[in-house]
Amino acid sequence: MLGVMYALVAVGFTLFFGVLDVIHFSHGDIFMLGAFAGLTVLAGLKAAGLGGALLALPLTFAVSIVATGLVGVLAERVCVKPLARASPLMTLLATLSLGLVIRESVLIFYPRGADPKPFPQLLPQGGVELGGFVVRYENLAILGIGLAAMVAVDRIIKSTKMGAAIRAVAQDPEAAQMMGVNLDRTVDATFFLGSGLAAVAGILSGLYYSEIHFIMGVTGGVIGFSAAAIGGLGNVYGAILGGLLFGVLQTTAAALIPRGSEFRDVVAFAVVMLFLVFKPSGLLGDKSVERV
Amino acid sequence: MSRDLAGVWLAEAAVFALVVAAILAERPWALGATGGALVAAGALVRFVPRLGAALVGAFARRRAAALAGGAVFALALPLALRSSPYWTFVATLALLYVTIGQGLNFQLGTAGVINLAGAAFAGLGGYAVGLATVAGGWPSWLAVLVGPWVAVTVGTLLFVPILKTRGHYLALVTIAFVFIFNILVNNLEFTGGPQGIKNIPTLSLGGYAFTTRPALAGVDLPAHANFYYAALAMAGLTTWVLRRLHDSWLGLALNTLRDDEITARCCGVSVTRGKLLAFSIGNFFIGLGGAFYAVMVGFVSPPDFDFGYSLVMLSVIIIGGVDSIPGVVLGACLLVPLPERFRFLHEYRLLLYGVVIVVMLLYRPRGLWPAQIRRYR
Repeated sequence: MLGVMYALVAVGFTLFFGVLDVIHFSHGDIFMLGAFAGLTVLAGLKAAGLGGALLALPLTFAVSIVATGLVGVLAERVCVKPLARASPLMTLLATLSLGLVIRESVLIFYPRGADPKPFPQLLPQGGVELGGFVVRYENLAILGIGLAAMVAVDRIIKSTKMGAAIRAVAQDPEAAQMMGVNLDRTVDATFFLGSGLAAVAGILSGLYYSEIHFIMGVTGGVIGFSAAAIGGLGNVYGAILGGLLFGVLQTTAAALIPRGSEFRDVVAFAVVMLFLVFKPSGLLGDKSVERV
Repeated sequence: MSRDLAGVWLAEAAVFALVVAAILAERPWALGATGGALVAAGALVRFVPRLGAALVGAFARRRAAALAGGAVFALALPLALRSSPYWTFVATLALLYVTIGQGLNFQLGTAGVINLAGAAFAGLGGYAVGLATVAGGWPSWLAVLVGPWVAVTVGTLLFVPILKTRGHYLALVTIAFVFIFNILVNNLEFTGGPQGIKNIPTLSLGGYAFTTRPALAGVDLPAHANFYYAALAMAGLTTWVLRRLHDSWLGLALNTLRDDEITARCCGVSVTRGKLLAFSIGNFFIGLGGAFYAVMVGFVSPPDFDFGYSLVMLSVIIIGGVDSIPGVVLGACLLVPLPERFRFLHEYRLLLYGVVIVVMLLYRPRGLWPAQIRRYR
């Protein structure tokens, strides 16, 4: 379940890297913003008397994806595009600071933003026993939504015109432009897509933990980036694989090590570092990492 | 020539007087007037070309005198701030950030080794001091001298994954390291968990505890003045050492490495050795800042060294000027006291840092005091 969320965030990282060769460090905070957008929409729907899960859930996802996607495009226009020709360090610092701005804005301007916010439980509770394990419906639903989002991304990238443009730009921006691909629009679309996915991940995270907090974007972002790095930056399937792997790592560490739930992130990050030592191009890295 | 000298010292005295007045101003209008005067003075120098050129020329011709004057005013600051121990403390903190900023600037600015784990390395220095003094019973001064080496050692271990990676991955490794460090000190027994380490004995040399209020020629100085002078010595020494290193062959080699690794390699610069050297030297000074912080404040706890502080350290460099040694001093002296002065904005502090960095990167990426092109005579 965790893995699905990480994978969705990681796909964003990998898409941005593929198209613009940048790491968008505020992506984690966009993920957090998606969760808060979802919470706001839910609160609004409840106030309007439309509390039913069947209607509220799709509506929440749709509105949050659009809102967060637009914020993502804005972030790219402000912080990434103008610095495209500067050194990578500049983009790194700018997006890091932008993440700080997003985080602090939620902390200050969202009502009582410093407290963890309870997230409404919309998914069916309870579970079914399968050979000694209890499978909770909630988790199944999260898994289902996450997988659906991934399949949707796969379809968009594989079989739409915009997806073809994204793939073309990722291969060679100049050649793509010569073939009539509108670079600016493609980049915008990529950031919209990636940020929308982060919103899905954010809402799923809210549903899973039943609470969200403004600080969740920091760890969420680092984990998402780690997952993308394990899988190989630039490769969408690698990112999905990396996300799932990171989730498995965390859960295994939590289960096997005494007091593991506190140290699970330490173990997971340590494994990521080992990965970078022994396989810096990631599991499915198709873009070779610069190592000169 | 004596006009130059008078000009230099007069300008420094004016800045000093205005800064002290701005710090001590209690009423909003007084603060507004002094702050406005500072901004106006800056604008005057900036937009009246003759005055600006004359001042720049005078400072360039009388470097030694200018530095001596600056040193005198830096020494005199606690005297001027006698009524406010709190501001002496803030000034000391700013000097710590000068030390840390110079260390980080050597990594990030000079060698291009991205380090987002500044808070963790400062924390390593601080926790090393805490453990050595409280659990090990070491004298504080020894712990402060040893603490930075812990940061250097751990940094060398961390260097193994860094060596193979570049750019973005480097950022990832160092960010992950800050988190690992924070989770570990928060959850391990011997670091005191979320409580941190309390009751770290203060610095004392030859039986003279640094917390006693010093008296200079019959004038009582604020309680933190001892730390202020120690931090001033530390920051001055750090700046001097790193200035020398920056101007030496090592600094030049590291600049080449930062700008183009292949070229550097072709010219016979060992990439591994250069990066490791820069990383270790930087970590030493970052750890030194953390160690000093531990003995000054008397306790260390996890929130003192979280990721946010890494970003503050970065902002010092970006606002001052990447790879610019005077810029780092300027950045630290602006960034640390200003939020304290505007306490009503305290809640918005980090938000403003973020906005300022983004704006600086977009419109003035080389900082307020950009690095000069190297000149060799």
